[in-house]
Amino acid sequence: MPDILIIDDEDHIRKLYTDFLTREGYSVESVADESEALKILSEKEFDLVILDIELEGESGLEVLKRLKSDHPELPVILNTAYAVYKSDFHTWMADAYLLKSSDLNSMKAKVREMVGV
Amino acid sequence: MSSMTEARSVGDRTQCISALFDESSLGFFFAGTEGHIEYLNFEAARIIGFNSVGEACGQSLQDIESVLSCGLIEAHRSALKGRTFRRNEHRCTNRNGHFAVLSLFCSPYRNDEGEIDGLLGIIQDVSESYGRKSDLERAICELSIMAEVSDALSSAVELEKVIRIILTGVTANQGLGFNRAFLFLVNESESILEGKIAVGPSCPEEAGQIWSQLALQQKSLTELLNDYLERQNAASSPLSLLIDGWRISLSEPSIFNRVLNDARGANVCARDLDEPSMEILRRLHTENLAVAPIISKGKRLGLIAADNQITGKAIGDADVQLLQTFANHTAVAIERSRLHDDLVRHAATLEERNRQIAESQEQIIQIEKMSIIGELTSSIAHELRNPLTVIGGFANLMLTAEAGQYNSEYLNIILSEAKRAESVLHQVLDFSRASRTESRELDFKLLVSKTHELLLSKMRRSQKQPVLNHSDRKMLIWGNSDQLQHALYQFMALSVEEMTGECTVEISTHVEDGRALMRIRFTGAEQARKKVTTTLNQFFGSSTGTQKLSIIVAGETIRYHGGSFGIEGSAGNMPGIYVELPCRNGGKNA
Repeated sequence: MPDILIIDDEDHIRKLYTDFLTREGYSVESVADESEALKILSEKEFDLVILDIELEGESGLEVLKRLKSDHPELPVILNTAYAVYKSDFHTWMADAYLLKSSDLNSMKAKVREMVGV
Repeated sequence: MSSMTEARSVGDRTQCISALFDESSLGFFFAGTEGHIEYLNFEAARIIGFNSVGEACGQSLQDIESVLSCGLIEAHRSALKGRTFRRNEHRCTNRNGHFAVLSLFCSPYRNDEGEIDGLLGIIQDVSESYGRKSDLERAICELSIMAEVSDALSSAVELEKVIRIILTGVTANQGLGFNRAFLFLVNESESILEGKIAVGPSCPEEAGQIWSQLALQQKSLTELLNDYLERQNAASSPLSLLIDGWRISLSEPSIFNRVLNDARGANVCARDLDEPSMEILRRLHTENLAVAPIISKGKRLGLIAADNQITGKAIGDADVQLLQTFANHTAVAIERSRLHDDLVRHAATLEERNRQIAESQEQIIQIEKMSIIGELTSSIAHELRNPLTVIGGFANLMLTAEAGQYNSEYLNIILSEAKRAESVLHQVLDFSRASRTESRELDFKLLVSKTHELLLSKMRRSQKQPVLNHSDRKMLIWGNSDQLQHALYQFMALSVEEMTGECTVEISTHVEDGRALMRIRFTGAEQARKKVTTTLNQFFGSSTGTQKLSIIVAGETIRYHGGSFGIEGSAGNMPGIYVELPCRNGGKNA
């Protein structure tokens, strides 16, 4: 069962994605900020990270840089409400870019593509 | 006895007069009742032209009068009648052939008994003072001409007006009094001297007519200047045609160029002249020409040429000198006129620049406003996207869960509305992204074409495709390409998505009253007309809906670009949509 880590500062978003992906058969953990993320990543191995860009008080792009530095093999999907970040050079480090939407099928497809299950 | 007494009496009288006047610096003479000179002093003999006093005594007044013609006979007659006689500043040639200006005063001479015995005259040579007075009068006249012309020039700044005043001053009898005057100006860029304007009669008949009229009117120089200025056809007068288009190379060795190079006026006579100079005289039909260069601060501006071709009066060096003084004055006026022209040009340029700056500032303010609105809408849209994702996402989850089976209708409504709200957010975000691009010159037809292509790419195959027809005219507008394309797309999409099932749609471009116009027309049966009317009223009216929001945003974009939009057509007919934007340069480029 692939392990997925969700990093998003919004409780309801974390709850939605956790429930959805759990139903889809994944093992899901979620955290609200960088420090929690780094802590859990040091304790457990994950197959995929879904990362929000606009985190409260910090930039998801900085977290992405750190993740890719510490875990270069770990795939990361940037998940955001902002389409404008797609053209930002810093987002190119991510493995995929996903726009937040009530239609969860796009997320399902992208996750499958990343973890292969 | 009486004749002896009389002789003694005459001798006494002569001795008496002699004693009084021999040494006087004025000329005195005495003539008896018979009109013969009985006495004159040395000065009188010199003035009349006798070599000695002795030679003069006994001469008749008649003989002297035949030489001097100064009124001696009339003076003698008057004296015998007891009256005095005076003649001032009489110009004549004396017995020795010398020119002199004389003043004569005669009075009756009475003896002891009070009877008139003859005429006692004072004759004075006033040549020197007359010359000085004449010079003074001439100088006063010149100053007066200059003052009047200067007065007229002081209020004239247009070169054409300046030129007319100058040439009027040269030719008016109250001015320099030349018959004709010609003005040539240097064209530095082509290194030529160009004939500009001429003033004066073209033939003796015309001269007679004009001069007799002027003599009758007795106008002052100022009045004449005003008269000439009121005439607008001086440039096309026959005399002007004589020099119109005349171009003389500045390298040609003619008298005109010599005058310009020497910076000194010349009295040109048709004698011993080089061929280029003779050609100038021939072309002006004259044999004697006064030429004065117009030079300001060492810069050659042109020259004035003047002649007396009609009267044939010879031009003197003094005339040339006066013309030169006039030309110097002219140089200042022309230079001032050119400076004024430069100033007017610069002022106009500055005014245009100021207008452009003000326009740019206005645009910057508008862009900043739009940018702020864009950022604000973008921020609000992003804030709304998260809750919508959560609402729609959970509705999705509930639908797939078992519990969802009981509330599927409601959950589908929540999901559908969430998607609809997301679609609105998408449009608003498109607009806010468009707000960040800069304004530039745009080809309106190209913009419509691109938008039309975008529309076709997003249409379902089952939908009727709108036809696009362009005007042949070029339509340039100014604006933000992304914003305008977004706005035009909203109008096109509204027409297609809401109505193509009922009717066919034609999109066309036009230029009307300097405005670029996009029209969306519908064709269909009565049922289609009703549908189109209802739909357009719904979207352009006061009802609410998601499409209405996109039309509001599109409409604001059009209005921000100085344009307008709306429904056109009369009641009972198929209505249409129009969107218009101002053309660059008021549509002159169209």
